[in-house]
This record gives sequence, C-alpha cells and structure tokens, in this order.
Amino acid sequence: MVSTGSSSSVVTSEAASAQVDIVVGLTSCNHASTVDAMTAALHDGVVRHFADASSRFVLADCGSSDDTVARVRASLGGVAEVVEVASTPTTTDLLELPYHRIPGKARVLRGILTAAKSLGARACIVLDAGIDTVTPEWLQWLTGPVLAHDFDLVAPFYRRHPYEGALTKGIVYPTFRALYGVRLRQPAAGEFACSSRLLDRFLDEDLWDRDGSQVGIDLWLASAAVSGDFRIGEASLGVRNHHAHADETVDLGTTVTQVVGALFADLENRVERWQRVRGSVSVQQFGDSAGGAAHQSVSIDPERLIESYRLGYQELRDIWTSVLPPRSILDLRHLMDKPASSFRLDDGLWARIIYDFALGYRLRVLAREHILRSLVPLYLAWLASFIIEVRDRGDDAVEQRLERLCAAFEAQKPYLISKWRWPERLRT
Amino acid sequence: MVEEIRRALGLAGTRIVDAIANFLPGLLAFLLILIAALIVAAIVRYAVLRALNGLNFDRRAELFGAPLAEWTPSGSASKLVASAAYWAILLTGLLLGLTTLDAALPTQFATSVLQYVPHLVAALAILLLGAIIARFLARAVLIEAVNMGIQSARLLSLAVKWMVLIVAAAMALDHISIGRTAMLLAFGIVFGGIVLATALAVGLGAKDAVSRALERQMRQPSDEDKLDHV
Repeated sequence: MVSTGSSSSVVTSEAASAQVDIVVGLTSCNHASTVDAMTAALHDGVVRHFADASSRFVLADCGSSDDTVARVRASLGGVAEVVEVASTPTTTDLLELPYHRIPGKARVLRGILTAAKSLGARACIVLDAGIDTVTPEWLQWLTGPVLAHDFDLVAPFYRRHPYEGALTKGIVYPTFRALYGVRLRQPAAGEFACSSRLLDRFLDEDLWDRDGSQVGIDLWLASAAVSGDFRIGEASLGVRNHHAHADETVDLGTTVTQVVGALFADLENRVERWQRVRGSVSVQQFGDSAGGAAHQSVSIDPERLIESYRLGYQELRDIWTSVLPPRSILDLRHLMDKPASSFRLDDGLWARIIYDFALGYRLRVLAREHILRSLVPLYLAWLASFIIEVRDRGDDAVEQRLERLCAAFEAQKPYLISKWRWPERLRT
Repeated sequence: MVEEIRRALGLAGTRIVDAIANFLPGLLAFLLILIAALIVAAIVRYAVLRALNGLNFDRRAELFGAPLAEWTPSGSASKLVASAAYWAILLTGLLLGLTTLDAALPTQFATSVLQYVPHLVAALAILLLGAIIARFLARAVLIEAVNMGIQSARLLSLAVKWMVLIVAAAMALDHISIGRTAMLLAFGIVFGGIVLATALAVGLGAKDAVSRALERQMRQPSDEDKLDHV
C-alpha cells in the first residue's frame, strides 16, 4: 500500500515508477457503510473483466471521521495496491454542504487525476464511494470503451424514476445539449472514465481553483470534454443509489443555487465555444440500458408544487421582472389561473426563462444568489407540469417528452445568443 | 444746543456712512462668492451628470442595491447625486460668503455649520449603507420565505427591512448628536416593544400556529424535499 499522506496531489516515487493500465479512483467522505461492498465489486470487476491489465486503486478521502479509509485498506489489502490522496476540507468547504456531499471535491478529484497521470494510466475511472449499487460490470462498461475503443470520456447514464433528477432533466441536460451540441444526458454525474489524453486536458484546465469549483467540478469537466476534440460515450449503468446520512440533506434552494449556478458559470467561461455550436449529436451508448434493479417508487403531489409556484408568482414577481421580459411575465400570469389538470408550462417559455436567468446571472441584475434562489418556484412549476404530463407513463414516453423539451432549448438558442451579444435587450 | 444736536447727528451720519462703507466691500465679496458658487455648482452638476450617465450609474447603483432612485421624483440616481453636489457647493459658497461680511453672528454660524459637515456626511453614509443592507436582507428573506412556503413572506421581508432601517436611522441621528438621549430612549422603547409584542403575540395569540410550524419542522421532509433533484 502506498500512501501520500495529507497531500492531495503527490504520489510517491515508488508508485509513480510503476506504469498501470487502469486507475480506479474513489472519492469518499464518511462512507464506511458502503465502501466494503463497493471495493469488493470493483476488485471483482478488475479481476473478471481486465485480468490482463495492471490496475491501481486511488482513494481520495475528504477527511472522513469514520473508518472509511481503514475499511478500504482492510478490504483491498493484499489483493490490490492502494494509493491514498487525502485532503482535509477547508472551513469554506464545511460552511455549505455541496449537493454531492463531498466537501472539497475538486481538490480530491484533482488528486486522483494527478495520481493517475503519475502512474501513466491509460484509463482512469472515478466513482463516489457512497454508491451502494455498484456492480463489477460498471467497471467494464465505463472503462472498456476507453481501453478497447479509444473513447476519451465515458459518462454514466443511470436509470431513474421519471420524477428524480428533475433538475438535470429540466435544466442541466437541455441547456448543456443546446449549448455544446452533445447529448450527454447526465452531465453533472460524479462518476466517469477518461483516457490519458483527456486526463491531461483536465489537469491543464484552469477550472480547479475557480469560484464554485468544489460544487460544479463534475459539470465543468464534462463541458471541458465536450468542448474539445474528444470521443464521448455514455454507459447505461442501471440504478444509482447513494447512501446519504439523514443530516446531509441539502435543501432545494441550495441545490438549485449550486447546480444551476455551476451551469451558468460554465456558460460564462465558454462563450466562444457554445456560440458557434448548432444542433446536437448523440453519443455512442454502452452498458445495459434495460438491466439492473428497478428504480424506487416516488410519490409527489403536483398540487403542492403548483401552490409553491403561485406563492412565488405573488411575492417574487418584482424580482422576476428584473430578469424576465414582460412577455414571459404575462405568460406566467396566465399560468397562475390554470387548474392542475391543465397546468402546462410551455417548453419554449421554459427555455427562454432559463436563458433569461443565465443572462441575468451574467449581468448581475441582482445578487447572483438571489437570482438563482428565485428560480426555485419556477422550477417547481416546470416540475409540476412535467409530472402531470408523464405520470403513469413508461420510460420511453418520458424520454420522448424530454426529447421535445431539448428540441425547444435548441430552437430557442438564437434567443440566448442574441441577448448575450446585445444585453440591452434583456427586458424586451 | 442746536449746534450740539447738529454735531451729534453729523457724527451719527458719519458713523453710518463709515459702517456702510466698511460693509459694502464685504457684501460685494459675499455676492461675488455666491455668484461664483452658483456658477461652479451648475458646472459641477452638469459634469457629474454627464460622467454618471457615461458610467451608466443608474443601472450600477441598482445592481449594487443602492436604492437612490427611490428617493428622487425623477427616479434617477445620477440626478440625485448631481443635485446633491450642486446644493453642497452652493451651501458651502453661502457659508464662506457669510464669513466675508465681517459680522460676528453669521461668521460663528458659518464656522459651526462647516465644522458640522463631516458628521453630517458620515450620518448620510450610515443611512445609505443601512438602506443598501436593508434592501439586500429584505430580498433575501423574501426569497427564502417563499421557497419555504411561508404565506406571510412579504410581511417578514418588510419587518426585516424596517428593522434595519430603524437601526441605521438611530445610528445616524446619534452620530450627528440630534436628540441623542431621546433617540436612544425612543429606540430602546420601540425596539423592546416590538420584541415584547412579538413574544406576546407568539406566546398567546399564535401559539397554535407556532406549534403547527414546529410540528412541520419536526416532521419528515416533504416528498419534493426527499426527491433527488440532481
């Protein structure tokens, strides 16, 4: 076992001298209850699918107070070599829990990628140690395309209940796809596999120390990959179930602020790229799209969401007026009177709302935190509309519905470009 | 006798003429200073207005959260700042002019007012800062309360806004020593009264509502809170 002590970016010379094919990186933070099963599954995956390849595990722990690190050492000791890149969360990290529950994630991720580079890895896979549904096949589906088919990035696609991941479905994926022209359905997922070429690019990017990197790093790495000349794939991994402690719940306002804020910040930093992109292309699929355990059932009452929207319209209309043009405010006014049965938020209107909020964020028409948090009632209105449309329908119908939504975001992209170039049109 | 009266009147007339002769140069200087101040003030107002318009100050002030535009009928923060500069120069000119009149009372008044100006500026800065903080906090509370589903979100937001404004006003008045003791007493009574009234209202009138709110807090999170949105 090789340890790098408390540094997150240094690997010992002994480790660096040994070249390996695969680096399996684990990000952990108090995941003692899941890490045994995960390491067992991953080791099994290496033995079963990559028996001829040399591999190394890299554990990047964010200051766990339980025995996560000891358990990894115990479970992999004797069967695999482990490099540890430990990182103690800073006070800033601890002040606000990120939605992915790994404080200081950018630092530990950078530690894993640096270790992988030092080890000369041909492929590097990164997984969150809190997931308790990992199977040996995940390793094959994520890493296989990189090693066998020269893909540079393989992002995961998880089967989810239609209502789950609504922020990704309703905002992140459609915007990401419209902007960068790549149909990566879960671009903010914390897991991925990358080639050595992309790994070098990731480490060269200047996004690691940017404001908000500890929260938005997953999304930013995905956008860095699709912005370059890299081969992108997507692996269907089945269900992702994350073990989260009860006291680690992040409220919706904070989640929206973190995720959408990371998306908007990325938009600002890659203007020259996304303004040139038209349309979108699909990515090659790997894995088993139909396999895995069934996703958990979720019940949610759209009436409550609509009530939240109505309260938001009554009280936050003045704030929205700073961001949205009068036409959108009028459309939202009409939505107020709609009963639940006919409550529908038009896709084009929703796309324009997101684009206008991105512009408001860029121009700082209000404090950025206020802009992002005031989006919550609008997001709940979209979620209510989405639930009413897709409830009791199958996965295919949901996919088709999302496809229509993404098409609307792509169709409205000229609206964003126009306003981005001529910001004085923000309120027209 | 008549000769004495005539001499006394002559002397009085001479004194008056002397006094007028002594006063006239001062008056002339006063008028000159006033006219110069008027011209400088007008030029400064024009220049400040042009510069602020060029800097898009109205929008920047809005973004910064400085609610200047709300305090002027024209709705323009630039015009407010330009007018403030105009009147400040005019007032300074007037006070300087008063000192040239060589009269004890106006000179003392001008000196004391000029000594007071830094305190006045500091008090205005406190008020402006208070207004900015009040506006920011009121908006933050409004958004957060709406996201928490609180029906009286606007009321909460207004309460926070006025609380901060009252504190800022009390601090500003204390700084310029206007009714210091009375202000402190009034502030203490009003603030303490608000806290006591709220405590009584919550404890007696709204205890059911509070217990329901606490129950909601203790309960499991709602379905949408439990949902994994990312």
